[in-house]
Amino acid sequence: MLDKPAVVTTTPLGELRTIERFLIHEVQLLDERRFEEWRDLFTEDGAYWVPLEPDQVSPDGRASLFYDDKQMMDIRFERLRHPNIHSQSPPHRTCHVIGNIVIETIDEKLRECSVISNMIMTDYRMRTQRLFSGRVQHRLRQEGDSYKIVLKRVDLINCDDVFELIAVPF
Amino acid sequence: MRYDPDAIRALVHRDRIHRSLYLDPEVFDLEMQKIFGATWIYVGHESLVPKPGDFLTTRIGKYPIVLSRHADGKIYVIHNSCGHRGAIVCNEEKGNAQLFRCCYHGWTFKTNGDLDAVAMPRGYGKDFDLTNPALGMGRLPRVGIYRGFVFASLSEKGPSLDEHLGHAKDSIDELCDRAPEGEIDLSGGVHKYLYRGNWKLQLENAVDMYHVPFSHESTVRRSGKQFGRRAGEDSASAISDRGSAAQRWEQRSAWGARSTGHSYNGHQPIAEQLPDDPVFNAYRAMLERKHGAERTKIILTPKRHNTAFYPNMTLQALNQHIRVIVPVTVDRTEVHVYPVMLKGAPGEMNRSFVRHLNVTHSAASLIQTDDLECFRRCQDGLNAQGSDWVWFARGIDTDKQDERGDYVNTGTVEIQQRAQYSAWLRLMSAKG
Ligand code: FES
Ligand SMILES: [Fe+2]
Repeated sequence: MLDKPAVVTTTPLGELRTIERFLIHEVQLLDERRFEEWRDLFTEDGAYWVPLEPDQVSPDGRASLFYDDKQMMDIRFERLRHPNIHSQSPPHRTCHVIGNIVIETIDEKLRECSVISNMIMTDYRMRTQRLFSGRVQHRLRQEGDSYKIVLKRVDLINCDDVFELIAVPF
Repeated sequence: MRYDPDAIRALVHRDRIHRSLYLDPEVFDLEMQKIFGATWIYVGHESLVPKPGDFLTTRIGKYPIVLSRHADGKIYVIHNSCGHRGAIVCNEEKGNAQLFRCCYHGWTFKTNGDLDAVAMPRGYGKDFDLTNPALGMGRLPRVGIYRGFVFASLSEKGPSLDEHLGHAKDSIDELCDRAPEGEIDLSGGVHKYLYRGNWKLQLENAVDMYHVPFSHESTVRRSGKQFGRRAGEDSASAISDRGSAAQRWEQRSAWGARSTGHSYNGHQPIAEQLPDDPVFNAYRAMLERKHGAERTKIILTPKRHNTAFYPNMTLQALNQHIRVIVPVTVDRTEVHVYPVMLKGAPGEMNRSFVRHLNVTHSAASLIQTDDLECFRRCQDGLNAQGSDWVWFARGIDTDKQDERGDYVNTGTVEIQQRAQYSAWLRLMSAKG
């Protein structure tokens, strides 16, 4: 008896094109200041983390530039929407570029995969343009035809630098 | 010299200061000499260099230094400069070393700064004394430690550290006493930021209660309360420039010591609500075992929010941290913010202190970024050719002297900044 091909109902976990589309969409939301939609990309237990030290093992007990759960994202973005937020008047404009995307691991049981990419983000405000770059790790959980972010970790190459004020996530 | 003592005196009045204090590079150079080169400067904390050989590099104003724990277990504060031809010897922010070795010609130094050995010594003639202490990196003439806080002075003479700290010492005691082991730990990393403004803008601001409802307007939610600033809290103090919220802020104490320049403001209203959760209760029980119930109550009663130690360190009790101000140029300043962990307190509690400081005081934080924006705008705006004066007159008619001779007031006054500028005037107009 011939094996019938399995019916593919969803894109397979860890399919590069789908992931790339997802990651591009994610940073576009930031550049378009659609912060609430960006937040909605995270799972309920999701987190966004930007360490302050190279190879920082954990955000626990060590200072980080960002370490937001979803609740903190709400507070952060509520503030970014405040009409009298002086540090964002005028706001930063940002432009993210991502590339070098590699699917690192796939966990069929958890429906999760870990994706590494490189990012460059420029931001501009009040005659000052800055360039940030770094390595990004996404832990993605498959939901239907798309993904949700369990963890987005951004390791800036200058994570231990002195920074002027930062408003928009990387 | 353009700024002789009389010229300096003309810049500072009891209620206002001249804008050249923020703008003139010559004033900045003089500050490096007469303030940062003369008085006691906070240079670090013992918990950052716990083991022999541990070191960190920093600056007193623009002067590079090394804070190290030598093989003898003691703390040394050393010039970060090679005794041969002056190169920076310790190039990393921190590390552990048995000897410091200069990259240029390989001279080595002990971790107390003494010369260890000169490379290829036979090249030097008989008259060249390789034991001459001047060939070492050199140590700062005075180092003083109070409850782990390390201060150093580039000047051989002057008041003792104890005299210098004066009654501001109580703020260090209050913070350290909250640790079950009586000591704090600053090894939880550091936030570092930069602003294009004069260093004094940050020092004034750390103890400024007047700016809160305006600068930080974006942190106040529709309920009129600030977002939660501690673990498990949804909201913090009510912040407004009118009504009962404003009244509560006006009840906070304000203190400034005109002789030393140190100052503090009273606690924020939210600090009066002590957490009631298993972790905090376990912590309270630890303090009670050590101090008894009565003393524990005093320790946990909030008194101060921010204390500014003149000229370069501030300490906050709510989102507990130590802030170090490093002047770079007249219009450029670095600030380093260290989360404070309480030694002996439950790990979960210390982790939540660190975590909340990310939210309030990182370079991407929700609070400090508003202040940074104001500093930038002050520096830019002071270039205007309108008024020459920056005013610190708020509450001046109601300042009172307490029994110890320090000045006290309440609420959103500018008594703290008046204390800072009397110290500035005293140091800057000193002879020599
Ligand atoms: S400058 Fe350091 S050994 Fe020559
Ligand atoms: Fe502030």
